[in-house]
Amino acid sequence: MRISRFAAAGAAIAAGALVLSGCSAPEADSGLDEGTSVGIAWNQAFYSANGNTSFGNATANNNINYLIYGTFNYYNNTPELVQDTSFGTYELVSEDPQVVEYTLNEDVEWSDGTPIDAADLLLSWAALSQALDDEGFDPSQFQNPDTGEFTEDYPTDTVFFDTGTQLSLVSELPEVGDDGRSITLTYDNPYVDWELVFGTTGTILPAHVVAKDALGIEDPEEGKQAILDAIQENDREALASVSNSWNTIFNFTELPEDEDLLVSSGPYQISEFVADQYITLTANENYTGDRQPNIEEVTIRFIGDPLAAVQALENGEVDVISPQATTDVVAGLEEIEGVEILTGLEGTYEHIDLQFDQSRNPGVFSDQRVREAFLKTIPRQEIVDTLIQPIIGDEALVRNSQLIVPGAEGYDEIVEANGSDAYAEVDIEGATALLAEAGVTNPEVCILYASNNPRRVNEFSLIQASAAEAGFNVTDCGSEDWGGLLGTAGAYDASLFGWQSTGLGVTDSGPNFETGGINNLNFYSNPEIDELYDQLYQEFDPEAQLELQMQIDEILWSDAYGVTIFQFPSVTGVRDTLEGVDPSIIAPTIFWNVWDWELSE
Amino acid sequence: MATFVIRRLIASFFVFLAATYLMYILTALSGDPLEELRLSASPNKESLIEARINLLNLDVPPYLRYFIWLAGVGGCFIGRCDLGVNIQGQPVTVLLGQALGQTLQLVTTAAILAIIIGIVIGIVTALRQYSGFDYGVTFTTFLFFSLPIFWVAVLLKQYVAIGFNDFLQEPTIPPLVIGVLAVLAGLFWMALIGGAIRRKVIVFAIAAVVTAGVLVYMDLTRWFENPSLGPVVVILSAVGAAYGVTAISTGLKNKRALYSSLTVAGVGVLFYLFLKPFVFYAMTLPLYLGLAVGALVIGGLIGWLWGGPDRWQSVRTAAIVALLIGVVISIDEHMRWFSAYAGSSRVGNRPIATIGAETPNLGGNFWIQGVDTFTHVLLPTLALILISIASYTRYTRSSMLEVLNQDYIRTARAKGLTERTVVVRHAFRNAMIPIATIVAFDIGSIVGGAVITERVFGWTGMGQLFVNGLDHIDPNPVMAFFLVTGTLAIIFNLIADLVYAALDPRIRLS
Repeated sequence: MRISRFAAAGAAIAAGALVLSGCSAPEADSGLDEGTSVGIAWNQAFYSANGNTSFGNATANNNINYLIYGTFNYYNNTPELVQDTSFGTYELVSEDPQVVEYTLNEDVEWSDGTPIDAADLLLSWAALSQALDDEGFDPSQFQNPDTGEFTEDYPTDTVFFDTGTQLSLVSELPEVGDDGRSITLTYDNPYVDWELVFGTTGTILPAHVVAKDALGIEDPEEGKQAILDAIQENDREALASVSNSWNTIFNFTELPEDEDLLVSSGPYQISEFVADQYITLTANENYTGDRQPNIEEVTIRFIGDPLAAVQALENGEVDVISPQATTDVVAGLEEIEGVEILTGLEGTYEHIDLQFDQSRNPGVFSDQRVREAFLKTIPRQEIVDTLIQPIIGDEALVRNSQLIVPGAEGYDEIVEANGSDAYAEVDIEGATALLAEAGVTNPEVCILYASNNPRRVNEFSLIQASAAEAGFNVTDCGSEDWGGLLGTAGAYDASLFGWQSTGLGVTDSGPNFETGGINNLNFYSNPEIDELYDQLYQEFDPEAQLELQMQIDEILWSDAYGVTIFQFPSVTGVRDTLEGVDPSIIAPTIFWNVWDWELSE
Repeated sequence: MATFVIRRLIASFFVFLAATYLMYILTALSGDPLEELRLSASPNKESLIEARINLLNLDVPPYLRYFIWLAGVGGCFIGRCDLGVNIQGQPVTVLLGQALGQTLQLVTTAAILAIIIGIVIGIVTALRQYSGFDYGVTFTTFLFFSLPIFWVAVLLKQYVAIGFNDFLQEPTIPPLVIGVLAVLAGLFWMALIGGAIRRKVIVFAIAAVVTAGVLVYMDLTRWFENPSLGPVVVILSAVGAAYGVTAISTGLKNKRALYSSLTVAGVGVLFYLFLKPFVFYAMTLPLYLGLAVGALVIGGLIGWLWGGPDRWQSVRTAAIVALLIGVVISIDEHMRWFSAYAGSSRVGNRPIATIGAETPNLGGNFWIQGVDTFTHVLLPTLALILISIASYTRYTRSSMLEVLNQDYIRTARAKGLTERTVVVRHAFRNAMIPIATIVAFDIGSIVGGAVITERVFGWTGMGQLFVNGLDHIDPNPVMAFFLVTGTLAIIFNLIADLVYAALDPRIRLS
């Protein structure tokens, strides 16, 4: 009985189904996005579109900000500073007092159509110079955030731009040109690297977006005017709110709901951003400048593990990778078909410095002859051959200048003249003779290095073995906490580590070698050097600058300050359908010419 | 019982407090958080160093800085959680939320599958103790158990992802491979089913021939380019599920349960053949979950209507069958979208991914999104399952063997109960008591247990939070990791104890 009832129900369902199937079944839409993208692997996630704050100043941000913001100049891969005249021009009006005028081109616009003008430039000055900040304000009290970088207790009536640049040398309010597209900066003291402090990577942020958030003004023109007024009239209340917005609103770890924050002035703009996974840049339609991109869409995927990046390249998930260069990475890349390996150098260079004072073994390096003898035993070429060449082959080279990056203008001339050739080869006999002359037997030298870094451990062993032949007793001051020990009196006699060059500023090297400089960790002091740097800081002529740098370099080598060893290697793997990738030695490395990349298919 | 719980919680709280202090100090003293800045030649180096010191309170010694952190954590009790900022100044609470989400997505499936597969294999090896199957499984699971996961991950990427994607470019299976796979499948089923020589030979032959046949069919129809199960497989699995589930759940002698299962199978097949396109047309996650619940309810209802004196047996059986058939239909539908997915410009015919959690900018409907998640989760899940399955297998096997040797099992057999009743009702349930506590404890530890897997597969989960924190001598993220994993460990340890007491009446908590 019951069974037949079920059978009837089943039959009814079946009949209904048959009727339904008579209707044509709807064809579902796949909903796929059929675009294409060039994938770049980078080891850290983007987190701020304002790379000027101490919070946002990181390579992972600056690489992308470089592509989304227009700048007056940028570094190419030579490396040298290139002006982007399609964005604007600048001119050194006078040297003393130093006056610089920046003028934007007429047609430059933000990606939302708002013109880029003096309001943006003035805001940039106000922020980077910190000239309008409240004095004596200590932000640290308010920096334990709940929602952002500053707490809710953060005083809304305080002006504080979270940054720190050399533009603080321009404390006077710049003049805004009548055309509304130019500003004139007057330096308090001459600063020869002025080209690098204003309008470089990602400095100019959209004033109208800041105004909208800080002052609640929706209209872009009104917003710009309000920013101009606030800065020119020093309206503390408005400025407090502007500084707070400038510090915080451009920090995001996924696509923000407010699209205004994605306004760009460069060749690309952010179109998609998934936390910890990837960020996608799409060509900016409103961009009229010279850096017109060939590739419509670029996706930067965040891949921390170098070998994972290699396999992602092999599997076609990314097209360009530039992980930390190791022999494993090179070996992995060599096995992949259809991938080109670009080897080269990167900004950090390895060097060994001798303590001129406060050394562990008192006075070991106070004698010029002992310093020379020790440096003569350092097997620079052997270190490069055994540790760097296996990674990048013939690109590996011994760096021969304390001041200038290999490849940059003047490197070859400076190397020829600076006397570094005296240390080109290991010279045990010469070293022994010098030691004998100095009347020292078996001096003990304790070297500080990163004992958790295998490469440095190897370097240390090579140096130790070589120096022993000349009678030096090299001992191990290696430590995992070596960074904190640098500059500590009595802790070591020589230090082996790397300096990272972030740019080509001629004054950048000053703090390393001047008496009492912040990076002068070996108590080196030579009045001649101090004098030359004083001259260099006043010298605007590039040729004269180079001349001074040559003199400095020469003195450093003849004083046996220490030796530079090698430039860090870089390895880039590129799918061979992608053309135009040509990494630069300094930041933004592979990203410097993304707009020139082209797909060959 | 309540006193036990409260006493345990209070004791755990103080132990945990001491542990966080130790952890904080160890992390903070493990290096120099300013190292990278000290090496910078940038002109604003001094202000950067100062900013970082201010940001992370580095001017306060670690043993006092801990209390600044603790005060922020204490805020959680009044709804104002503040876990501090990391070395880049990002709030750790936000990072923790993102990391926890990614980790759960990564490890949940792996944990569930590892538990299910591990227990099933464990039981089968116990029932086939000292057989070739037992030895084979033991060898294999221990082999994977002892492999380092980063190496397993690299191998999986090379062969399962890159190798399979290469294969897809020209999906023909060489005859030699078909032959080897057929023999392997034959050996597997032969060892699994066991019996006398004659039976073994027959099982081997059937399994080998069927496997070879399926592979040849796949090869000839270029199945891998456009995979689907098709009506035949769906119908066969529906009927198979009906018989299989009934056999284990109630025994085939229970006709009402069998008829309910077969009815459910029939309804499922009808749905698959006629209604599916209309229902699946605009699929969303709520609808999908609704259908899963619906399947359970309809299955249960059918079982209830077939009823009889012990109708809950039928309800249970039919509901499980309905869910299984739903899973099969869902798999079939995902497969149908596979070729559209693989062929899309974003994927470029290399569907199995080695990195990340999703294909950038893919778009796609519900099914395509599902396929995308599958292709990204596949490798890490496999890696996690392979290395964690061994322990479940071994625990289940030994627990099951112990129970099978008990007197009451012999009694049950002696009084003439079927082997199914003895194994499923008398042995299995009791063998599961210790396993339940192990599972509860493992669930507590999975969140923190995938550090290397995350790194190798490019997921920024809890493990990455921990490792990056350690790399940069940055205690706040490390502590956030520790806080979550430590709390989970305490809670699930407690749950494990409670579960044990609840399942085993001989245990009393006091």
